[in-house]
Amino acid sequence: MAIPLVPQLLRAHLAELAENDQRHDGRARWDSRETELELGVLQNAEGSAKVRMGDTIVYAGVKFQIMTPYPDRPNQGGLMCSAEIRPVAGRNWEPGPPSPESIELGRVVDRGIRESGCIDVDNLCIIPGEKAWQVILDLFAISDDGNLFDAFALAGIAALKTAMLPEVRFEMSDTDRPLPVSKTPTMCSYHKVGGRFVYDADGKEELGGDERIHITLGDDGHVHSLQKGLKGIFTADEFAEIMEHAQGRCEELRQMILRAEG
Amino acid sequence: MGGYGDVQMIDENGLRVDGRGPADIRPVSIETGVIPVADGSARVIWGTNHAVAAVYGPMEAHPRKIQRQDRAVLDVRYNMAPFSTTDRMRPGFNRRSREISKVTADALESVVLLEMYPRSKIRIEIEILTAEAGTRCVGLTAASVALAHAGIPMTDMVVSVASGKINDVVVCDLNKEEDNYGEADLPMGILPNTGELVFLQMDGDLSPAEFQEAWDYNMEAALVVHQIMVEALKGGDA
Amino acid sequence: MMDGRLRATKHGRVNEKGSEVAIEPFRTAYIPRPSDMVIGYVEGCTNNIWFIDIGAPFNAILPMSLGPGKAAFGGTRSILDIGEAVLCRVQEVEETHSSVVTMKGLGLRKIRSGNIEQVDPHLLGRLIGKGGKALSQLKEDTGCRIIVADNGRVWVDGEFDSIITVRDRLQAMSDDAKSTGVGA
Repeated sequence: MAIPLVPQLLRAHLAELAENDQRHDGRARWDSRETELELGVLQNAEGSAKVRMGDTIVYAGVKFQIMTPYPDRPNQGGLMCSAEIRPVAGRNWEPGPPSPESIELGRVVDRGIRESGCIDVDNLCIIPGEKAWQVILDLFAISDDGNLFDAFALAGIAALKTAMLPEVRFEMSDTDRPLPVSKTPTMCSYHKVGGRFVYDADGKEELGGDERIHITLGDDGHVHSLQKGLKGIFTADEFAEIMEHAQGRCEELRQMILRAEG
Repeated sequence: MGGYGDVQMIDENGLRVDGRGPADIRPVSIETGVIPVADGSARVIWGTNHAVAAVYGPMEAHPRKIQRQDRAVLDVRYNMAPFSTTDRMRPGFNRRSREISKVTADALESVVLLEMYPRSKIRIEIEILTAEAGTRCVGLTAASVALAHAGIPMTDMVVSVASGKINDVVVCDLNKEEDNYGEADLPMGILPNTGELVFLQMDGDLSPAEFQEAWDYNMEAALVVHQIMVEALKGGDA
Repeated sequence: MMDGRLRATKHGRVNEKGSEVAIEPFRTAYIPRPSDMVIGYVEGCTNNIWFIDIGAPFNAILPMSLGPGKAAFGGTRSILDIGEAVLCRVQEVEETHSSVVTMKGLGLRKIRSGNIEQVDPHLLGRLIGKGGKALSQLKEDTGCRIIVADNGRVWVDGEFDSIITVRDRLQAMSDDAKSTGVGA
């Protein structure tokens, strides 16, 4: 990724906005942008979702492959999360091998989903020692205006929850069955902008902002994954404030997914 | 081309597997502004194909060595998303994608007024989200709309479509089975206002008369799709 | 740009009447012209020139001799640092569209406070209004200093609340244009 120029005036302006409890696009401190979730949008994927948060737009697609289980875990399948932010998504995303930014993005979202245990890899066995399902979640950004983390996380779990194991295509059965997903972990990300943490930072706020914290909560508010990114220091109080917001918003996002599933 | 002439894809009434007649094009819909952060963008849904294209620029051409003193260069990337095909496509370098990127760039360089932006580059990013035969054509078509949306001046739009032959019958706009099991495939990139060509490939076996038929089908399809493009550009953003 | 063969299509309105073409693009890269007043960001510098991003395909060059204050070799960053914003004027444009800008001139300066917004070209006319009326009204209503540059960037300076008011008005203008289908 090309490092974009951070205008000094932007940082000064964001600081002044923060002091006055405002954000540059008129949102309140904990407001999200308009968020849309659509399911079943990719016809060649076994599960899919599209998320739009403001001008950030991402797709998540689930594909299944048959794998040979590891010898020491003959009943286990696998889960792989791959995140791609291709140059299509923005002026500063350059072609080439994955940048540290996109690798971190993929890993943070992967951890959120994996650590919740929502996919039980022991339950993916087909023939012990010979065949098991490998679940591959591909996260694909087409427009980056900030907070790809939450967009990816939301699309990813939504795609997994609506994925169907392609038993018909692989000639195992005469109907496909749903991939068992036992929980609905959701992520909330907070960026320090102008000296205070805000929720759902957009492109400008990410550009002029500092460190960030990502929180993934499961059902019943269980904490599944935390990550702090970039340079900076935060206090226990700041963290408590964020966590309180996350408890509420993660549940809202969970409801959004359940409603979309219908 | 598979050349499996014995796979029945068109019946005695001239109906194809998906219910189309020989001259019918698949359903096409086009939207602009689908990638808000880009300077120009478009989505083309063509049959089951789903492609998006984004344009960034003109901008300074980096690295220096790709710069041309007298005109802009087009930096085109055609890519298929991992979930676009029935069997997952591993991300990463792909010879086919590289070839299609180049051929697409060649086609577009013939219509973009490159001399207006010397020493700069225009990035064109084509992503196939769902693939169903003719993705190179859909990609080129989407790129053309995205360029127009970005305000990049061109002498004409480009519509790309592939006609061919199945069970000895020449048909317009091949779908997946027809592309896999048919006897010929003729993709073309057409300038709808003049009927000139910027892109041409062919595989298979066509008699001179059949070739002309397929050619004509492509030309007619180009006019139809061009109308849809113009409506999309006039209609405002998604 | 009229030529018999040119049936160029740009997003928006295309009129083809024989060999005449009228194009009203909604988005185009900013192409600098001499004497344009522009707002730019310092992207880089050497010992005696700054590279200014003015939103054109190429960065503009600001030589030390045309910069603010006295010329002195070296020390460019202490005069204008990377990331700072300036109000300057396009002095000359060579045929490859790269330009030289100057800060010698009335009103040209480093921008030290306030906010810079990017406004779509087709909205600039509406913002300024007939004979500059709409802009004058906005300045009066909010008490802000507002400078509309030729590269689509607008500098707004004044009391914090007034800056917010101007921002809200710009947003409303943009939303309104989108819903009435004008320019979008």
